[in-house]
Amino acid sequence: MTKQAQHTKTKRYGMVIDLDRCTGCGACMVGCYAENNVPFRKDETDKMLSLNWLRVFKVDNGKPFPDTEVCYIPKPCMQCDGRHMEGHSPCVSVCPAVATDYDEPTGVVSQIYTRCFGCRYCMAACPYHARKFNWWDPVWPADMEKYLNPDVSVRMRGVVEKCSFCYHRYQKARDKAYVEGRDEIAENEYQPACAEACPTRAITFGDLHNPEHEVYELSRSKKAFRLLEKLNTNPKVYYLTSKSWVRRKADNYLEGESPADRKPAHKAETASH
Amino acid sequence: MSTQSDNQPVPAENRASGWVIFVFFLIGLIASLISGWIAFPNLLYSTQQQPIDFNHKAHVAQMDCSSCHFFRDDGSFAGSPTLDECKSCHMYPMSNDPDEQKFIEEYVKKDKEVPWLIYAEQPPCVFFSHAAHVKGADMECRTCHGDIGQSTSLREYQENRLTGYSRDIWGYSMLRLGEAKHGGRHKMNDCAECHLKETGSKGDCFQCHK
Amino acid sequence: MKIDRRCFLSLVIGGAVGTTLTPVPWKLTDDIAIWTQNWPWTPSPEKGPSVYKKSVCTLCNGGCGINVRTVKGQAKKIEGQADYPVNRGSLCPMGISATQHLYGPSRIQSPMKRTGERGQGKWEKISWAEAISTVSEKLAELRSRKKPHTVACIAESDRGTVPYLLQRFLTAYGSPNFIRTPSSFDAQEQALYLTQGRHGTIGYDLENAGFILSFGSALMDAWGTAGQMLSASADFKQKNKLIQVEPRLSDTAALASQWVAAKPGTEAALALGLAHVIVRDNLYNKEFVDNYAFGFEDWEDENGTVHQGCKSLLKQYPPKKVAGITGIDKGTIESLARKFARAKRPVAICGRGSGMVPGGLDEALAVFALNALVGNINQPGGVTAIPEPDYWPEMQRDKTASNGMQQPRVDGAESDRFPNTRYLLNRVPEAINSAKGESPIQALLVAGGNPLYTMADTETAKKAFDKIPFIASFSTYMDETAQYADILLPNHHFLERFEDVPTPAGTPTRVIGLTRPVVEPRHDTRHIGDTLINIAGSLGGFIENAFPWENYEAFLKQTLTKQWDSLEKQGYWVDPEFMPPAWEKAFQTPSGKYEFYPSQRSKASGKDADALPGFRQVELPGDPEKMPLTLMPYASARIAGGAVANPPFMTKTVDTDVIKDGAVFVEINPQTAKKHGLSEGDAAVLKTPAGKARVRIHLFEGLMPGLVAMPAGLGHTAFSDYIAGKGANVNALLTDVTDPGSGLNAGWGIRASLVKA
Repeated sequence: MTKQAQHTKTKRYGMVIDLDRCTGCGACMVGCYAENNVPFRKDETDKMLSLNWLRVFKVDNGKPFPDTEVCYIPKPCMQCDGRHMEGHSPCVSVCPAVATDYDEPTGVVSQIYTRCFGCRYCMAACPYHARKFNWWDPVWPADMEKYLNPDVSVRMRGVVEKCSFCYHRYQKARDKAYVEGRDEIAENEYQPACAEACPTRAITFGDLHNPEHEVYELSRSKKAFRLLEKLNTNPKVYYLTSKSWVRRKADNYLEGESPADRKPAHKAETASH
Repeated sequence: MSTQSDNQPVPAENRASGWVIFVFFLIGLIASLISGWIAFPNLLYSTQQQPIDFNHKAHVAQMDCSSCHFFRDDGSFAGSPTLDECKSCHMYPMSNDPDEQKFIEEYVKKDKEVPWLIYAEQPPCVFFSHAAHVKGADMECRTCHGDIGQSTSLREYQENRLTGYSRDIWGYSMLRLGEAKHGGRHKMNDCAECHLKETGSKGDCFQCHK
Repeated sequence: MKIDRRCFLSLVIGGAVGTTLTPVPWKLTDDIAIWTQNWPWTPSPEKGPSVYKKSVCTLCNGGCGINVRTVKGQAKKIEGQADYPVNRGSLCPMGISATQHLYGPSRIQSPMKRTGERGQGKWEKISWAEAISTVSEKLAELRSRKKPHTVACIAESDRGTVPYLLQRFLTAYGSPNFIRTPSSFDAQEQALYLTQGRHGTIGYDLENAGFILSFGSALMDAWGTAGQMLSASADFKQKNKLIQVEPRLSDTAALASQWVAAKPGTEAALALGLAHVIVRDNLYNKEFVDNYAFGFEDWEDENGTVHQGCKSLLKQYPPKKVAGITGIDKGTIESLARKFARAKRPVAICGRGSGMVPGGLDEALAVFALNALVGNINQPGGVTAIPEPDYWPEMQRDKTASNGMQQPRVDGAESDRFPNTRYLLNRVPEAINSAKGESPIQALLVAGGNPLYTMADTETAKKAFDKIPFIASFSTYMDETAQYADILLPNHHFLERFEDVPTPAGTPTRVIGLTRPVVEPRHDTRHIGDTLINIAGSLGGFIENAFPWENYEAFLKQTLTKQWDSLEKQGYWVDPEFMPPAWEKAFQTPSGKYEFYPSQRSKASGKDADALPGFRQVELPGDPEKMPLTLMPYASARIAGGAVANPPFMTKTVDTDVIKDGAVFVEINPQTAKKHGLSEGDAAVLKTPAGKARVRIHLFEGLMPGLVAMPAGLGHTAFSDYIAGKGANVNALLTDVTDPGSGLNAGWGIRASLVKA
């Protein structure tokens, strides 16, 4: 009985990022780093060693001046559901330590740092480069330790880290709901730091299963697509764009194959149910 | 000094007899049992006293647990009361209790937080939701913390020298058998066992980790 | 009884068997497993209740409302304040990462005096008493030699209580040399004064505008108030109401519904060309132009001389000619002009880049003329003058002070040559370097800004600073200018202090925000207001009397008594009485009307063409033969281009084709690259008349051929190891190009050569 009850409560938290709105300002990235105690190094221009949970990439259509167009693509962890929607995401399936796992009630791919022993198999498996490895112990010079968020574990050298959809905010929202005697948390009660920080409101976050949440409609829109959909990783991060060239950049299309030929993102999902 | 070669059998009269060997076996056995059962726990755990003693029973007679151990509006659990919360009653002595005198002299007057030793302190990678257990599942404090509300004095705090954790995490029984003394036994397996029994699932990693 | 080795073995076996029957192996295995997962040297932040505190960010002049999460008295996270009338909950990445500056290694932790050579970085900690007596002794000495006017003070703003106290201090002391750091708003505020006769900040009601024509303003990259612009961006996009004029496909141009890639420096010509079409086709707002404007038609003065009006001036800018100047085809100019004039509530805005890049007066006047033609002055969705704060207490000064105040300003502002320009920091280096004998500035108080980083041609500025015998810095951080000072009197970090933040430039409402302490001051720093009161106190006499307050907080509360309740409760105050005045009452010019012909401007030359807005090609420094390219700085929201440098979080966000391994990438068009034998990623030397820098090449189709675009805000040399030594400072490669009419720096770029290294 309890199992049944839990299943109906299962959520699939996801994100829809409107690329037509994103201006590439970077507030989401900094909001994420500040919220999640993301370590930094003395030389953050050394991009090989720079560590992050969220990056905003700039792409252009390659057309000559003045017909050039650019687009920014924010890229957190895609929180893949895996081929058959059972949480068999590329990283989870390879982790030998169960340090990364699929959180059934929310669909978030968890990463437990104390459990990770740093084999980096997950990094090799992740097609989105969402995972980063701590080659060094993080250092916070001067008094910078003081700003660390107590809700998020500080990582140590030798472990892999990645975006958690600010899961600690979900935990806190649940706590508040319990104390107020509610079973459910409202859409706006659990929002990751990036979505909250986005000044252009390009990032929408919510339960992809809940028709009352904004992401439900958005993820099913004609403009919606996901990155590398052909791999069947079933990401829970959707993108919206009105530009076909952006869409083309999101996957490896054959010559003559058009992104429009592919079925919309949500169809793939329902088909596999 | 023997000049015999090694492969030559030792004459019987030169060997220790069976019972002597057995005695040695027993000595080894008993010594290791003693050291393993008595010396080892004492070596493994260091013992500290709380900075001041506290009488839960006397307080509970006049107020609820939640007067001091309350939930904040944002759903987080306050844990041990802060100096400000204690001061709201104990700005001045309310009894002749020497520990209360000490509290007022050393903490209230110096405006210093009491460095309580938390028996059930979890490591930093753990997110434990008091709200889910107390409010969501209607559990009582004593289920996990024992009958501390009826105690008249604070017990000593034992810390594992190797892990730095409180002894309550492993539990007082070295073999983790029987009823947990003071209700304490807070390892991940203990959580998972109870969750399996009560909810049908051991739970997911993120449920309790951060 | 024999005891042999078998007995010993037996003992060991007994021990082993016994041990397995004890908890030792099982417990130890578990404990060791836990021990391996413990990293006691990684910090574990202290838990506690979250307390949110409202304040206002002052890292730039934007002034966004913030909401800071604190735990146990420490600032954890900065978020936008949802109801703040300026930014409405949005915040730029710099604001979010301010905690890194608060707790970071760039802070000046106590007053210090220099012990080594200037800029060498050798300091000795001193007490506040010593710091204040050192400064006041120096100032007293200059005053006793009747040279109070040789003291200058640089600040980032001239509004609000702290800039006011600085100005009051100089006035009581006897120096006219209060200098605000340059920005594009210098030209816009002057244009506002010339056309409307009002001193104040300029407000653009972009929220209600139906059509925005931006002349190179980096709306998405920190122009005006970053938070405000970013939050409005979705609206710009959705309603297709933004048109961007710029030679580079910037973030703003990318968002715009139309990108008009005009040649850089020809914005004024384009604006006048558009005005030409609007007037030619009778598309202008006749009600406004006929009744409330002056100098549109030719006019006759009291001596009977006929002067040229705006209308006949515009005849010189037919689309064909403008097309030739701007590189925009005639058809686009015609259609853009019609779109602008026919749109509901159109507005044109100017101020290149993030507003850090200065600009000439003509450009601002030309853009203002466009706005006046469509009659959007003081209308919803239009342009409004926001009055300056006027709530200052009276003061008296002595004769030395009055005499000092009579002396000309060192930067030449408000002189006969530049009568309407209030501040000209860009002219200070030359004034010092060309002076015969001792420097016209004997003591410099740097109370804001970071001129040795932000000024064009920083080497020349440094040479000028070398000649100033005494430099005191009030900076919170060890920035480039503080590093070059003689004495440091560090101000609290903005998260540790009180300060009022009046209406930021660009915002169309009259608002005051309150910056207030979110955390206790971490170091032995002092509020700059208190330091000033202390210095005034030790100078004595009229100066002391001009500062009768116990401390800055008392002065702040007294000044803003009326607003204090609201400031304390909400964190801001919006003037409920402020309404943009109706056209009849709006203009305080000599004609009482909006002046297309700014009659105040012509004083010096007397020629009509000098008074009217016009397109005057700015001659960029450098030999076009040797330097065939043109370098332009560009703004990025991910790189702080102002006084305060990028903290590590910001640098983390910067793309690999902007900066990588310490080297900055300059953008050039692939076509240009081919011509110069450069390809993606090449190391190259970028040379301009002001200096050179090692850069790397990034090919970008979105940049006009012939240009080199370099990000502003990199190449800091001070602050800390976490900030310094990353890329090159574009300001060091630029020079001042004095705008003949206003003295402002009109140099939007510089000639450059790019050679493969």
